[in-house]
Amino acid sequence: MGTRLNSTERRVLYLYGVTQLRPATPIVQVGVDLQSAVEAIGSEGVTCWVSRVSAEEFENSLAKNMENLDWLATASVAHQRAIQAISQHSDILPARFGTVFRDERSLADHIQKHLKQISRDFKRVKDADEWGIKIFESAPTPNPVPKVSSGKEYLMAKAALLPKKQPAQIPAEELKDFEGALSDIAEESAPAGRISSGQRGLLFQTSLLIKRANRQRLETALKKFSREWAETRRIECTGPWPPYSFVSQDSKPQ
Amino acid sequence: MSTPGTVVFADTNENDQLSLVDILDHVLNQGVIVRGNLVLSLAGVDLVYIGLDVILTSIETAMRHMNATSGLSDEAS
Repeated sequence: MGTRLNSTERRVLYLYGVTQLRPATPIVQVGVDLQSAVEAIGSEGVTCWVSRVSAEEFENSLAKNMENLDWLATASVAHQRAIQAISQHSDILPARFGTVFRDERSLADHIQKHLKQISRDFKRVKDADEWGIKIFESAPTPNPVPKVSSGKEYLMAKAALLPKKQPAQIPAEELKDFEGALSDIAEESAPAGRISSGQRGLLFQTSLLIKRANRQRLETALKKFSREWAETRRIECTGPWPPYSFVSQDSKPQ
Repeated sequence: MSTPGTVVFADTNENDQLSLVDILDHVLNQGVIVRGNLVLSLAGVDLVYIGLDVILTSIETAMRHMNATSGLSDEAS
């Protein structure tokens, strides 16, 4: 990222996702490489959302680039923004980060081969969004750092205010109640948090598929538990996300 | 710091409310996996089993890039 594409450089199609509808007006949104536009390509009665990106950056060097945290951070935020912009217009089946095709023919062939599965997934995520739920151990009430005589003592006093690295577990009964309440509201749940599993004080996390009509019920349930746990735990809720965790996976990456 | 007893809601339509960790959690969690000779590159998710502390150091850079890019700017670097 950061190297301007020249006109002779080979490009590939970076796929953001597939929608059933195509908006009447084009979506003006920068792509995952912060240079290319987000385009709509019709195929087999669905609309594929793509950008024409550098083959060197997103095909040959993708694995290496994903180990570059600056690159990964920038590209993943740009990927999310592009999909979020598309999802404002239509339910989207998001593609996995880093999915590229050599040309429009190969993309069309793929869509044609997976049309039944795509159709099933559209039904699965219809009128629904993904939501991320995390429960954290509450930080202790912040006390003023006591008077100290050295930098080391100051840091130790500050560290004592942080949640423990291995927090206490949520009692099984309470967790069961919480998960039961969410399962009444959500269509599905999925494991979450490959990246954030090491967050300090994190006790529990999940991703939920929630119909938009049930959003208020989710908020009400979370507020209820949050009040009950006011002294011990804190609930964080992010969303609405495109249904990243609720689309089919048809194979392992090659 | 949130008030005890309240839920912290972060709206994905308000990007400044989200942490990069949340974005990575969802973006890299799953998604449609494609297969066959049509697919040329797939991100190996195993590659991103990296320390949270390290990821957090990338937030500032990511946000700097994003804030410098509004729409299809020719100035994106």
